[in-house]
Amino acid sequence: MAMNSCVTVVQLGSGTQVHQSEVHLLPCDIEHDGAAQVAEFFTPTVKERKHEKTVSFRGRGLKGQEVTHPQGYTGLVLKEVQKPSSDQEDRVVKVSSVFHNFTYWNLETPPTSDDRVMMSMAWPKLAEMMRAPVED
Amino acid sequence: MDLRDFEADNSVSCRLSSPVPDVCRTEDCCLGIDEAGRGPVLGPMVYGICFCPVSRKENLKNLKVADSKTLSEAERENLFLKLDKAKGFVGWALQILSPNTISTSMLQRVKYNLNALSHDAAIGLVQYALDCGVQLKEVFVDTVGPAEKYEEKLSQRFPGVKVTVRPKADSLFPIVSAASICAKVARDHAVKDWKFTEDLGRVDTDYGSGYPNDPKTKSWLLKYLDPVFGYPQFVRFSWSTAQTLLDSKAVPVHWDDDEEDGEKAAARQNNTSVLSYFSRSKPAGNTHTRETHRFFTERRLQSIDTL
Repeated sequence: MAMNSCVTVVQLGSGTQVHQSEVHLLPCDIEHDGAAQVAEFFTPTVKERKHEKTVSFRGRGLKGQEVTHPQGYTGLVLKEVQKPSSDQEDRVVKVSSVFHNFTYWNLETPPTSDDRVMMSMAWPKLAEMMRAPVED
Repeated sequence: MDLRDFEADNSVSCRLSSPVPDVCRTEDCCLGIDEAGRGPVLGPMVYGICFCPVSRKENLKNLKVADSKTLSEAERENLFLKLDKAKGFVGWALQILSPNTISTSMLQRVKYNLNALSHDAAIGLVQYALDCGVQLKEVFVDTVGPAEKYEEKLSQRFPGVKVTVRPKADSLFPIVSAASICAKVARDHAVKDWKFTEDLGRVDTDYGSGYPNDPKTKSWLLKYLDPVFGYPQFVRFSWSTAQTLLDSKAVPVHWDDDEEDGEKAAARQNNTSVLSYFSRSKPAGNTHTRETHRFFTERRLQSIDTL
């Protein structure tokens, strides 16, 4: 029995058309799915001193660090073109923008290499090594 | 009053000060402490100290300084100029606590309340005067809280200095009046010419007094509420006025240290994956699940075959 019979189609825009976006990963749940005034409220208030980024969100202090994707990987922001009306229909999503790095924010403490997000970036490299043929 | 140092980064706390008069390093001095802008939901809270030789108290009195609250803005400006002219024997220093500092301190994981914040600002300023070589013998403090405890705390912190903490000290001791004028002038300037870091275009500066019960302040808070970000950093998010408006008009935001109903928190935790945006009903009958290695569980990594 197939786990899922329908397919998700990802429409890639042509490379030059897709715009790059600035991505921030915040340490909270925002009950909002849609556009936000990031460029008006957030980006201008980010301060950078001695390699430490600081900002505040809803009155809480955040400390951040730039995270670059593992080599060979690109971040995609996908948007559903049309919601399927049933389980049987294929889904179509399109790439609305791409990103090569993002800012990872922690509440009050600076991000460290022990943080889950930072640690998970090691997986692609590890996976590659595991799959590589063993030389004698 | 030149606020450029503060305006260069008004998201943090900033100290401004006059030169220290030479006579304050050689003669016994008195020092007054007062604050401005404790109550408002908008703008910074300013702590001020003013100091002069004990022997010059009469000269200070002759400047006709009075409690800043009983004076008009123009009178305060005028008195501040007079204090500046008296720089041969009067010195001052200010600690400007930005609204962002107030918000992030009061909303910290380990709460840092306004009283502690105030006391630390006052202590920091007295220490600054001592570090500058001011021969402090008497300190007069205005307070809204319990005077005895605060007096004891300051006396212990600064042995050898006679500390007097009094409600309404700003109308009892000229040196405290002088401190209150410095603080109030700085607060007024900072609020009037607030440099919004946010990119909001031309901001309506008709925000009234900044006190929560001022109708102008209320309508300003409604006008500049953003459903996601809440407010510009000019607003003290930790004030109940701001919180109440956000609770009713902005989208809810949850933090891992929120105090909330355990069940609700658990329900949300199950739903935090980015993939939840694409989630569909999970296929049934997938009974023989293999235990995932903790390398993956620790990183919340999971293998997916559909979006």
